[in-house]
Amino acid sequence: MHNLGTVFQFEVRRTLKKKSFWITAFSFPVIIGVVFAIIFFSNKTTSQAAEDTKNEKFSIAITDKSGLINKDLVKQFNATESTDKQASIDQVTAGKLDAYFYYPQDVSKERVEVYAKDVGLFDNGRYEGVAKMLLQQSVAPSVDPQTTSILQGNVGFSSTTYKDGQPFDGFKELIAPGIFLVLFYILITMFGNQMLTSTTEEKENRVIEMILTTIEARTLIIGKIFSLIVLAVVQILIILVPIVVGYLLFREQLSLPNFDLTSIPIDPLRIAISATIFVLSFLLFTGLLVAIGAATPTAKEAGGYFGMVMVFIFGPLYAVTLFLSQPDSVLVKILSFFPLTAPIPLMLRNAVGNLSHTDALIAIVILAISATVALAVAVRMFRYGALEYSRTLSWNTIFKKSAKKL
Amino acid sequence: MSKSPTTQQNAVTVDHFRMDFGKKTVIKDLSFEVKKGEVFGFLGSNGSGKTTTIRALLGIYQPTDGELLINGEQFSVSSGAKLGYLPEERGLYKKESVIDVMIYFGQLKGLSKADARQRSEAYLERVKLSDKASTRLDKLSGGQQQKIQLGITIMNDPDLLILDEPTKGFDPVNRRLLMDIIEEHQRAGATIIFVTHQMEEVERLCDRIILLKDGTSYAYGTIAEVKRRFNGMSLDDIFIKVYGDENEPEEEKK
Repeated sequence: MHNLGTVFQFEVRRTLKKKSFWITAFSFPVIIGVVFAIIFFSNKTTSQAAEDTKNEKFSIAITDKSGLINKDLVKQFNATESTDKQASIDQVTAGKLDAYFYYPQDVSKERVEVYAKDVGLFDNGRYEGVAKMLLQQSVAPSVDPQTTSILQGNVGFSSTTYKDGQPFDGFKELIAPGIFLVLFYILITMFGNQMLTSTTEEKENRVIEMILTTIEARTLIIGKIFSLIVLAVVQILIILVPIVVGYLLFREQLSLPNFDLTSIPIDPLRIAISATIFVLSFLLFTGLLVAIGAATPTAKEAGGYFGMVMVFIFGPLYAVTLFLSQPDSVLVKILSFFPLTAPIPLMLRNAVGNLSHTDALIAIVILAISATVALAVAVRMFRYGALEYSRTLSWNTIFKKSAKKL
Repeated sequence: MSKSPTTQQNAVTVDHFRMDFGKKTVIKDLSFEVKKGEVFGFLGSNGSGKTTTIRALLGIYQPTDGELLINGEQFSVSSGAKLGYLPEERGLYKKESVIDVMIYFGQLKGLSKADARQRSEAYLERVKLSDKASTRLDKLSGGQQQKIQLGITIMNDPDLLILDEPTKGFDPVNRRLLMDIIEEHQRAGATIIFVTHQMEEVERLCDRIILLKDGTSYAYGTIAEVKRRFNGMSLDDIFIKVYGDENEPEEEKK
């Protein structure tokens, strides 16, 4: 493995220096951050709506056809009662009134109408919050607290299910092995293109011939694959660290469920199976994408084949319900054992606990053989395709030509 | 396998080399030697198998038959041979900086990072490109990129310099630089294999030459010997006589 370290360092360093790597790497956590920020501001808007309303000079008019609204509460909110719906709406339209709530005769059949002046995307939600709170607080005294809790869905439940004589929490059980499925999805989505183009660059730049007098093709490919793995780990950390930090620091503000991480069941065997499938699948698709890149003269041409690979990888997602409900069906078996479609069905089935140990063993053996073959073919294709500057490598060239060195 | 003393004295030994690509035979039976310290001209029309022979010599192609040796051994990237190779198809990592690419190749050629940096900086100084060290290669002109590629080729002070059509696409400034570099390495005792169509360069630089035709050696020896065989004709005239009957030269098909 002469010069492996040099290639590895060069590939990692130059990728880390690219702006595009960091833009892609941070795009996922940034999107997650934006979503959480919207949730945060939305939650803040709703919970503080009533408080804000009390503190602000806030002109509200109310028409109560239902007879449910408590007159004292109306006074507390400095609201006025209106008998003319249209006149009140006109006042809101003209900006003379901040908000107007119209409670219909039967709130269970008709909608409560809220008319208000715009105060911004995030703050507009508070009007509905106030209208809803007025209604809830008005009827609350006539119902006992227990009934209120039941009707508001504020009743806690504690469920214990059993499997093989042992307590079994299906949701919690899938978290640890399921992480590998999520990571695989993210890595292939974000790194697939980089895997594909990792070898086309040398060809497109006509640099390959000089390279091959200093390093074996196999070493070059392995160096590139190692660098991709390290970059994938960097990517995973960039995704996970902000999520974990965000969860630990802002859990309450984001209204996230309070997970007791220590309560997540750790089944070493299932985690090991998921981890093995994840690693082998990653290597299989790395080999496959690198091979495609090696066989085609340009990144543009390689891109055409990339779509086909993505269909194989992510196509099984359309049969998710089948994997969950009929794990023994023929289709599920085929998708689980065919190497190109196997990763998602296998990791999903293992996460939900319906992948038998026998199936797991067979699948792992198939994936291991496939990954080895894919990587070997990638090296062979790179070796043969390296000097094909203008045409796509043919199968005949790859497997029958004996003149070139492997 | 133990090699004969003659083989070990040669910088390059090609012995009954044959190269097939599928059903097509590119090289039928080729044998020649390049002595240590000489400048050897490797001549032939396009498609005559010059580049194929070079690639087989450098282990990029596996020969169908025969032996191709450097310093008495088959070349491998870990053999320790100090080699400088400027291929016909040229290019560099265009999106990387000049200095990063030079250091990378220096390291691949066995230099330490510090040594590679020092040699790169010295070369950039020589070719007046020091101010471009941190510039991306694709921001340089074509001529400047040629200089960088040339610098990478000689960075490790090679004992064997293989230049495949080195002046192809070179402007006069870089052509002069190349000739200076060849002469410097010649004086330093390096062996130089020179693939070219430029007969005036062959006449000026080469000690011995080989003319390839139809996958075999058509003429081989010192320039004087080859000229004698063709009744004292100039190299240009010999080239036209040998290859003139070939119609539109075909690109080498690998």
